[in-house]
Amino acid sequence: MTNPLASRRTLTPDVLTAVGLIVAPFILPYLGFGPDTMNRILTFGLFGIGFDLLFGYTGLLSFGQSAFFGTGGFVAAYLLTRTGFSSVVLALLIGTVVAAATGALVGLIALRRTGIYFAMITVAIAQVFFFIENSPLSAWTGGENGLPGVPGPTIYLGFTTIHVINGWSMYGFIAFCYLVGIVIARRIVNSPVGRILVAIRDNPLRAQALGHAVHSYKLLAFVIAAAYAGFAGGLLGVLQGYMPPEAFTFDTSGQLVMQTVIGGPGTLLGPLVGAAVWLYLRDFLQAVLHLGATWKLVLGVIFVLLVTFLRHGVIGAIQDMTKRYATRGTARGDRAGAAVGTVVALPTVNPPVRRREIGAGYSGPALEARGLTKQYGGLTANNNVSFAVNAGELRGVIGPNGAGKSTFFKMLTCEVAPSAGQVLFHGEDITGKDVADVCQLGLTKSYQVNQLFTKLTVRENLTIAALAEKRGRFRSDFLRRAATLPDLTAQVDYTMGLVDLAKRADTPVAELAYGEKRRLEIGLALATSPTVLLLDEPLAGMSPQERRETVQLLKNIRRGRTLIVVEHDMDAIFNLAERITVLHEGRVLAEGTPEEIQRNSFVQDAYLGGVAAA
Amino acid sequence: MFNGLVLGALLALISSGLTIIYGTLGVLNLAHGAMFMLGGYAGFVAYQFTGSYVVAVLAGALFVLVVGVVMERLVISRFYSRPPEDQILVTFGLGIVFVELVRFGFGSLSQTVPAPHWASGITHLGFMIYPTYRLAVVAIVAVALAILYVVLYRTRLGMIVRAGIEDASMVDMLGINIDRVFMIVFGIGAMAAGFAGIVNAPVAPITPDAGDDILVETFVVVVIGGVGSFPGAILGGLIAGEILSLTAMVDPSYSQAMLFAVMTLVLVLRPHGLLGMQGRS
Amino acid sequence: MPGLDSELMRNLSRRSLLRAGAGLTGGVFLPMGFIGGARAEDHPALGSYPDGSSGSSVFVGISVPRTGTYAAAGEDLIKGYELALEHLNAGNELMSKISPNIKKGVLGKEVKHGIADSEAKPNTAVQNLSKFITDNKAVLLTGSVSSAEAVADNKAADREKVIYLPGISGSNDTTGKDCVRYSFRECFYAQTAAKAIAPVLIKNLGKDKKVAYLTPDYTYGHTVHASMEEYVKEGGWTTATNQVSPLGTTEFSSYLLNVANSGADVVININFGRDAILSIKQAKDFGILDKMTLVVPYNTPFLAKEVGAETMQNVFAATDYWWTLEDRFPLAKMFNDAFRAKYNSNPEWGANCAYMQIAMWADAVERAKSFYPPDVIKAYEAGQHVQSTVGEVWFRGADHQLVRPVVIVRGKKPASMKGADDFYDVVEVVAGEGLMQAPDAFGCKLGSYT
Repeated sequence: MTNPLASRRTLTPDVLTAVGLIVAPFILPYLGFGPDTMNRILTFGLFGIGFDLLFGYTGLLSFGQSAFFGTGGFVAAYLLTRTGFSSVVLALLIGTVVAAATGALVGLIALRRTGIYFAMITVAIAQVFFFIENSPLSAWTGGENGLPGVPGPTIYLGFTTIHVINGWSMYGFIAFCYLVGIVIARRIVNSPVGRILVAIRDNPLRAQALGHAVHSYKLLAFVIAAAYAGFAGGLLGVLQGYMPPEAFTFDTSGQLVMQTVIGGPGTLLGPLVGAAVWLYLRDFLQAVLHLGATWKLVLGVIFVLLVTFLRHGVIGAIQDMTKRYATRGTARGDRAGAAVGTVVALPTVNPPVRRREIGAGYSGPALEARGLTKQYGGLTANNNVSFAVNAGELRGVIGPNGAGKSTFFKMLTCEVAPSAGQVLFHGEDITGKDVADVCQLGLTKSYQVNQLFTKLTVRENLTIAALAEKRGRFRSDFLRRAATLPDLTAQVDYTMGLVDLAKRADTPVAELAYGEKRRLEIGLALATSPTVLLLDEPLAGMSPQERRETVQLLKNIRRGRTLIVVEHDMDAIFNLAERITVLHEGRVLAEGTPEEIQRNSFVQDAYLGGVAAA
Repeated sequence: MFNGLVLGALLALISSGLTIIYGTLGVLNLAHGAMFMLGGYAGFVAYQFTGSYVVAVLAGALFVLVVGVVMERLVISRFYSRPPEDQILVTFGLGIVFVELVRFGFGSLSQTVPAPHWASGITHLGFMIYPTYRLAVVAIVAVALAILYVVLYRTRLGMIVRAGIEDASMVDMLGINIDRVFMIVFGIGAMAAGFAGIVNAPVAPITPDAGDDILVETFVVVVIGGVGSFPGAILGGLIAGEILSLTAMVDPSYSQAMLFAVMTLVLVLRPHGLLGMQGRS
Repeated sequence: MPGLDSELMRNLSRRSLLRAGAGLTGGVFLPMGFIGGARAEDHPALGSYPDGSSGSSVFVGISVPRTGTYAAAGEDLIKGYELALEHLNAGNELMSKISPNIKKGVLGKEVKHGIADSEAKPNTAVQNLSKFITDNKAVLLTGSVSSAEAVADNKAADREKVIYLPGISGSNDTTGKDCVRYSFRECFYAQTAAKAIAPVLIKNLGKDKKVAYLTPDYTYGHTVHASMEEYVKEGGWTTATNQVSPLGTTEFSSYLLNVANSGADVVININFGRDAILSIKQAKDFGILDKMTLVVPYNTPFLAKEVGAETMQNVFAATDYWWTLEDRFPLAKMFNDAFRAKYNSNPEWGANCAYMQIAMWADAVERAKSFYPPDVIKAYEAGQHVQSTVGEVWFRGADHQLVRPVVIVRGKKPASMKGADDFYDVVEVVAGEGLMQAPDAFGCKLGSYT
């Protein structure tokens, strides 16, 4: 997969696309592409832009886009053929809006599930739409005959009028629409929303835990995809002068998916390339090679070969080739940075101001658990745990394996709802809230098993976290350049400095050493500017040197924050924490200063499996 | 009502094949409809040569078993580490290839395999008449499902397969040759569809496109029953059969839409289907 | 271009509009192949005229299903088309017997063709037509197996101003409310089939019979049902039940059970294509055909072959053409001989439609002495009588429907078959003129010529 977050700050891609579209009519006909074929390629390409945003970027494979393609198309066609509506462009836009609204409704149902279930629901809904188009609504939609007579647009440009009809003038119109569509799509990709969508694809769990309302973003992506589909559907009707019922079939959705994968998902232009390959081959095999009915067999074989050997589609293959060509002979410079340097001293720059400040005047515990209990069927993971941490404290939580520490943490951050009990954050009851909301309030966690955005770079990872802090759980600012958010870079740089990853800012996570990944894991949580930070075994798997450095890091970051650390490394935790809570078999066994705990015989027994029970 | 049983039995068999493939391998086999169709054609060819229904059924099932195994070894196994959409697409492409190969070889006209003489004609069931062969189909399918059940729940291989459905990597780590398991599961799953294909041939003449009709319904059944659940596939199949035939009695054009509506409802209320398990999402 | 009012704009040729567009986009917008075509002598450019006919050959675009459920009928159509074009280019005797106007080629030009798979989908069919027009400058478009295809193609052809000839299309609407100036239908259709077969049924089966209908749930199905009910009423026939099934049904058992319990004497099965094959086969399985006579008011090509003679015996069907008509019509014999020589099999009725459509088009163009579409259309509308494989036929100007007979056949008992293909006895060839409804009965309003 190409790195979708690679900076595209210049206008070059848009200009290149425009140039390509202008030049194409002069070159492609010699290759066998007629104007009608090119118009269809562009229409499907536009349809695919929205789908690529949904699938290539957000990772939602929907087989039901035909529902919106058809809806937009038929609304526009109906307005233009059955009512007195005359403005084609306006009809197309109305169709788009209706399709987007339909997308919102469908998304509310379909997005409740993920993976194959999501895909199946989209299939089901698309089939239902087809059925509705064919039967109950056939008076409006023409049933199996569709709506003929859709006119071409008339463009009033002040000093002249263009009547767009089939052929090259239609190409001009559709190419223009495509250009607009792709420019908008690029803006979306480069916007905060676009970055978050990619993060959702990579690790939805972490995206939510960092404070993003993942479901809302998914719905937004779904609606955007539906809008593109609706516009493209309208274009199909205009291009053919006829709106076909097949717009609603599963076949159409399937064709879209196939074309996108052939072209390369996550590239925006992939669907266009895929459509070109598909439609070209279709014509070529029939008209040039005269294969008769076996054209489909040959196309099927080619398709299987393409899917098997081009892992990222045609565009991906081209990108791989150019990358291989470009890096031939050049040393991979930043590999050297793998070695960990000395621990950085606390930066002298003050941390950026938090977007939301905790209500002043509250003097109780920063985080409190009252009688937290969690039962999984017959197993009681946590039993009536009560716990309070004061602001600015560094609390350690220890306990033998199976004591229920991870479950306890999950309840504190509201990743998991307790069976009984309450969690209070700065005196406010947050029990049962969503983990994203809790993070937005200033309470978050770093995970025991790294939950990073593995396809992104260090800087991009931290940006995702910072975006949540700067923008709240959801904002539909999908046309805004992410880079223009104030303080975003400052926040990211500051956090990178704190965890000493500034030298590795643009390294993909996959290339980081384990210790660096752990630091990034902590960095992610830090970038949300928490006031209370939970760390689940931050030292897990580290070498002694790395442990020392991480302990130092924890000491650095506790300034102005409350930290709660679960750990197994006794030396480290006794060195670090002011107070320690011991959990055993789901209950609080003991709580006190490190010295008190070390001397506590119950604790010793628990760890050594002794007689004294909790 | 009664009709739904016949339709449901067939769907249950085909769906159980699909569900164990998806449950164990995690691969959504969009070529499953083509497997159904291939079973029909292989049986047809065997029938042309031998005139025997039994030979035709065995030939159909075994041929598709081989096709499934070969398909898994040659193509599907390359896709286990690839994202799920790639798997879906390659099976989809293979489905098209099989259909068009058959069209190339046999043409588009439908072919028939007659019902065996011991199961042809009409049975009088008191209140109505019913083709004997359809009743035979229910019995045959029930036997096939029973055999499948025995294999899955009473043999060592079956236990491994069921373990693989729950956690394939675990099975792998236990030292069991997971590649062989995958191959066998795919073969068996495909064979279930192929067997259904030839058994159904006397009811509905086979064409190259015969698998397309059944594919979407099969997926719906799998989802309703719960992905990876063999009993779920059976339950789902029977429910689907009943839904289709009952709505057909009221207003036939709504029957497929009704099936989809039920599926969506099930998913919303029970995210893993009726009998599905957590773990595979 | 400032100063031009809209009236003038409309009268300008397409080329000028494109130039205007080119100027506005700021680039030199030179679409290939449109600028530079020789201006016709006395007709403005229209559709693919004059570009499509300015050379030594013309192009015919054929769009039929080659994959999907209607593929068999589609291949049959292709055989008919290719035989016709071969004959046309060679100046074959059969062609000149159909009409003495037909010479070698059309207006001296060779006729080339291209075939595209419509997959029986209207959208794909329209796509194929567009491509033939824009890429190949086709002067003629043809082909369809379903009426949905044909109607979509009708509209597309009318918009593009290129003549289109449906292949197989049984719906009344194709020359009814969906008729267009640029389309002409040769084959028989629901209304005429019903009116032709009803008296034959009454004569052969008697009066006051009860009918069970199997109707597919789309416009075609309902119109045939309505027509049949109307015409069999003359014989006192009543409807016992009407079982409506969605298109693409594979499981007819619930409908057939209702039919079995309805007490009907006759089953009229309006399904077409695979639906017909499955419903008839399953009807046999349910024993219905043992008790009731089956009637197929609109025959599907290859139905008998796929269902089998055992099932088809005594079944009444209305069809467009059956090869044993060669005993009655010498042109049918010539056609069959040529078909058998080239393809080693007998034609079904789709091939016959295809052949006749090409022949009649060649005749119309020769009479028009031009490829200019309105001239050709007017030649068609003049109603010239030509000889066909089923006797004398002519087009009606008012709705562009060919006035032609309907062939009623009855399935032979397997024992009486003289060959593997000898499925039917021809019971009656019902003359077309008496069958045709009034031209505007189905709401046909032909559009403009240009």
